[in-house]
Amino acid sequence: MNQPPPASRPIIEARRVNKHFGAFHALKDVSATFNPGQVTAIIGPSGSGKSTFLRTLNRLETHDSGEIIIDGIELNSNLKNLDAIRREVGMVFQNFNLFSHLSILRNVTLAPMRVRKMSRSDAETKARQLLERVGLANQAEKYPLQLSGGQQQRVAIARALAMDPKVLLFDEPTSALDPEMVNEVLTVMRELAYSGITMLVVTHEMGFAREAADRIVFFDEGVILEDSTPEAFFSNPAHPRARTFLSQVRHGF
Amino acid sequence: MFAAMIGLLVFLWGLAVPLSAAPAPIGPAAGQFVEGARVTVWLTLIAGSVGVLIGIIAGLGKLSRFRPWRWFCDTYVWLIRGTPLLLQILFVWLVAPTVLPAGFDLSDFACAAIALSLNVGAYNTECVRAGILAVPHGQIEAAHALGLTPWQTFLDVVLPQSMRVALPALANNLASLVKDSSLAYAISVVELTMVGYRVQAESYQPVPVFITIAAIYLILTTAFTTLTAALEAQLAVGQKR
Repeated sequence: MNQPPPASRPIIEARRVNKHFGAFHALKDVSATFNPGQVTAIIGPSGSGKSTFLRTLNRLETHDSGEIIIDGIELNSNLKNLDAIRREVGMVFQNFNLFSHLSILRNVTLAPMRVRKMSRSDAETKARQLLERVGLANQAEKYPLQLSGGQQQRVAIARALAMDPKVLLFDEPTSALDPEMVNEVLTVMRELAYSGITMLVVTHEMGFAREAADRIVFFDEGVILEDSTPEAFFSNPAHPRARTFLSQVRHGF
Repeated sequence: MFAAMIGLLVFLWGLAVPLSAAPAPIGPAAGQFVEGARVTVWLTLIAGSVGVLIGIIAGLGKLSRFRPWRWFCDTYVWLIRGTPLLLQILFVWLVAPTVLPAGFDLSDFACAAIALSLNVGAYNTECVRAGILAVPHGQIEAAHALGLTPWQTFLDVVLPQSMRVALPALANNLASLVKDSSLAYAISVVELTMVGYRVQAESYQPVPVFITIAAIYLILTTAFTTLTAALEAQLAVGQKR
């Protein structure tokens, strides 16, 4: 194929994506491209469509119209494409969603064993390395509910990483956490951001967005109002709505 | 669980010894009691396992997006729950010979097992459905996001989690089944209750005979509930208390 070399090809391309929930128009002609290795913070008020946009990228929500292409594969009702995309795109949820009936170790090994057909011993070796990386090597035999929220979210990150995704989606990863646990999760995410993986992070953590992200995408009422660098966005937001939003969240940093 | 299983086997194996030592109406008929208890246990085990399978299939069916299949499962549950079990047993027994090809003979025991399976399956359907509905949607989303296929999601995530919700109710149905199997006597299956009838008819001493029967049923239900309680404890792992 006569395509440009993969390094310069965007890993995610969304073109004129629309999504309705009944009469509510959640995403209005949203277009955006994301490059490999980029860390993007997606911010905006509640109900602005930022989580919905993230969830359309691995088809947890289906888009009504428009195109989404991930790593050269179009995301549509074709199940083969969907399987291929979900193997490359990991997701971390607001409420962790760890499998409550499986031990921490099994939570991390399940997908590599089922989807990548890894042997149990390989999957376990890898899982223990990842748990070590998120600082939870000694919790492998416990069950999710025996861990704190921050620990569960770090396991969820390890679980997503176990599939070696090219892209990691974070859907408000710290919003369900007690304040004292936010930092342990952000520390892991910061370390990931510098490791070169493509990250899209829907977040209310402006401090994290400012220092760890390469790019800020600001959503409001289903459209991307601003798409710029953290420096530009936080020092001099172009759009009045972004200015209002920042003045409302600008406390404590 | 293993212990309860062994207990049940030992009980069936050794039941004849204490019974044959008992006085007049019971002692001489010890062999019959043991044979009857075995038939009851077989009926329960077969109808119990098939019933769980039917419950899972129909429970999923009631939640299916495919309307005819959902409608079929609804009708099945409606029919079975709305008619007496005795009638269902008689119905299978009377209808089976007319619909089966000639030369294919269904024993009385098989008829009873089919009717009991269908019956307990209908009640299980609702328990399984409740269990599946109790699995948080986030668990399914997480499985999908990891790339698990719908089938893997069901087997690895939804089924085990729904079972720990459904199990107490399924255990209840199993305990009922042990006793419901007695209705098989109506189509001349020689299970425990039938044995009781025969022995008391010969001896004219119904009270000691029925007390013996009741005691055997009690021991059987105890064994089965111990079994399910152990299973419950095993599935409850990782759950909040």
